[in-house]
Amino acid sequence: MNTPELPPKPAYEVDFPIERVEAEHVSRREFAKFLCLVSGGMAAGTGWVAVKDRFLPPFKLTGEVRVCLTHELPVGGTHPFRLEGTKMPFILVRPSEHEWFAYEQKCTHLSCAVYYSPATDRIECPCHKGYFDVRSGKVLQGPPPRPLHRLDVVVKGVDVFVRERSQA
Amino acid sequence: MSNFREAQRQAHPSKTNTLLLGVVCVLILILIMQIWLLTAVLNVSLEGVETLKWPAFIASTLLFLSGVALLRYLPNPIRQARKAREAEAGRKSL
Repeated sequence: MNTPELPPKPAYEVDFPIERVEAEHVSRREFAKFLCLVSGGMAAGTGWVAVKDRFLPPFKLTGEVRVCLTHELPVGGTHPFRLEGTKMPFILVRPSEHEWFAYEQKCTHLSCAVYYSPATDRIECPCHKGYFDVRSGKVLQGPPPRPLHRLDVVVKGVDVFVRERSQA
Repeated sequence: MSNFREAQRQAHPSKTNTLLLGVVCVLILILIMQIWLLTAVLNVSLEGVETLKWPAFIASTLLFLSGVALLRYLPNPIRQARKAREAEAGRKSL
């Protein structure tokens, strides 16, 4: 008995031998795989933070850097300055005649520029109403999670210098 | 040949469904823990604290590997059906 011959497979079926239902099916299985991919990204991100801190430590100021002259900054004033080796903006503030403080100008919440308000005697972040103590940099109110990074200020004659904060 | 699996499938037809849901839930829990770890590591890093980073990285990697291991238990009904069809076709051609 002769068996009828099947017609040859069309070219598209040879080139793309995946069933339509499989090609179009976005399943929970694929969702689970995607979750796993994101999980790998999280692990890599955590590793990146650890490696970055190990091999690219954050900026530390070495020695003293002259910022301005005492008469250039009146009481209640603010003097913005930059340091070599970092793009971080800093501010020097003078709340009273003999008080000088220097801080990073970026809010620790979302990096908005902070400013010193002589009226309230606080450092303020205008974006989300974060307030910092001008004498310590500590958070008084609002969403910032950490105090402002502070530098030590040294006045020598008429020159004002900043240096990395001593641990004591 | 034992028909135990087939009998099991008939007794509990939504087993695949339950299994998939369970795996997806566990993967989401793993992901939440990893997000928490990453947030904690970013916070301690910005505060200049040296501890916690490497243990958190190791923990996050272990969580990821456990997620990958879980993928092994994902049922794949489409592929299983295709394999069954191919096996059936192979038997018929013999």
